[in-house]
Amino acid sequence: MTNKLTIAGKQLSSRLFLGTGRYPNPYVQNRAIEVSEAEVLTFAVRRVNLSAPDEDAILQHIEKPFQYLPNTSGATSAEEAIRIARLAKASGLSDWIKIEVSQDEKMLIPDPIETLKATEILAKEGFIVLPYTSDDPALCYRLQEAGAAAVMPGGSPIGTGLGILNPYNIERITEKLTVPVIVDAGLGSAADVTQAMELGADGVLLNTAIAKARNPVMMAEAVKHAIHAGRLSYSAGRISKKKYATASSPIQS
Amino acid sequence: MRLQINGDEHDLDVITLKDVVKHFGLQEGLVVTEVDGTIIDRSNWKDINVQDGMKIELVHFVGGG
Repeated sequence: MTNKLTIAGKQLSSRLFLGTGRYPNPYVQNRAIEVSEAEVLTFAVRRVNLSAPDEDAILQHIEKPFQYLPNTSGATSAEEAIRIARLAKASGLSDWIKIEVSQDEKMLIPDPIETLKATEILAKEGFIVLPYTSDDPALCYRLQEAGAAAVMPGGSPIGTGLGILNPYNIERITEKLTVPVIVDAGLGSAADVTQAMELGADGVLLNTAIAKARNPVMMAEAVKHAIHAGRLSYSAGRISKKKYATASSPIQS
Repeated sequence: MRLQINGDEHDLDVITLKDVVKHFGLQEGLVVTEVDGTIIDRSNWKDINVQDGMKIELVHFVGGG
């Protein structure tokens, strides 16, 4: 199916980026990861809980090598995001970083100014920067110009499952940018994923939609197929929408 | 030795930063350390002698989106 997704020179066979939070247990998580065929996994960076160090350590449960994409969630400023990014890099596990900066606990809307600032500084430092951002075409373009390796506009607020609230904007973003566009956040089902791909997204990032599905492993499989279907449909080129009917059967007998 | 580790006071019998990581039984390959706001590479842990009052952060990857 069409060409592969390449980010910062790394070729990926899967267009799915998968979050690792909120699964019912490590077994279901591993099965979902396996079935999804995702190659990029996201993580958060947090203090070790010293009274139970293994409790939320995630990597001991992950079975094979992946491209790790740690995030800067919890950061409310560029400065905090930069600190988390440097900590993540010092792990020696990855120099990719998902910038996530928000000052808004209720909506978790990414802060545009701090996100842009962090992207610029970290890209100059040599990080592979993938900023999570709102679906503003002008801002997405600025992030690309600031050195982002891929830009990740949200479909709707994190964890809401509201899908793509502004497909018009997402399509403008995928048309305009030359770096890959990964639709991140808010996708709730396979249909949302297909829509993102039909709008020209190069990939999607999901977490809650899979982790909190009634059957996460089955949803992981559905999403894999949705990406495939959406990408094919995008490449095939949909018909334009018309106001009136056009008969598909010959009119004359 | 009184140290401020991940925001809490700890009284530990340790000499180096490597000892601190070992004390808590952490998997070295998965932990990142910061001492008084400076990240210390894993390869230097054994050379950093900890001192009373130092602020140490021990972080790792957890599940997230």
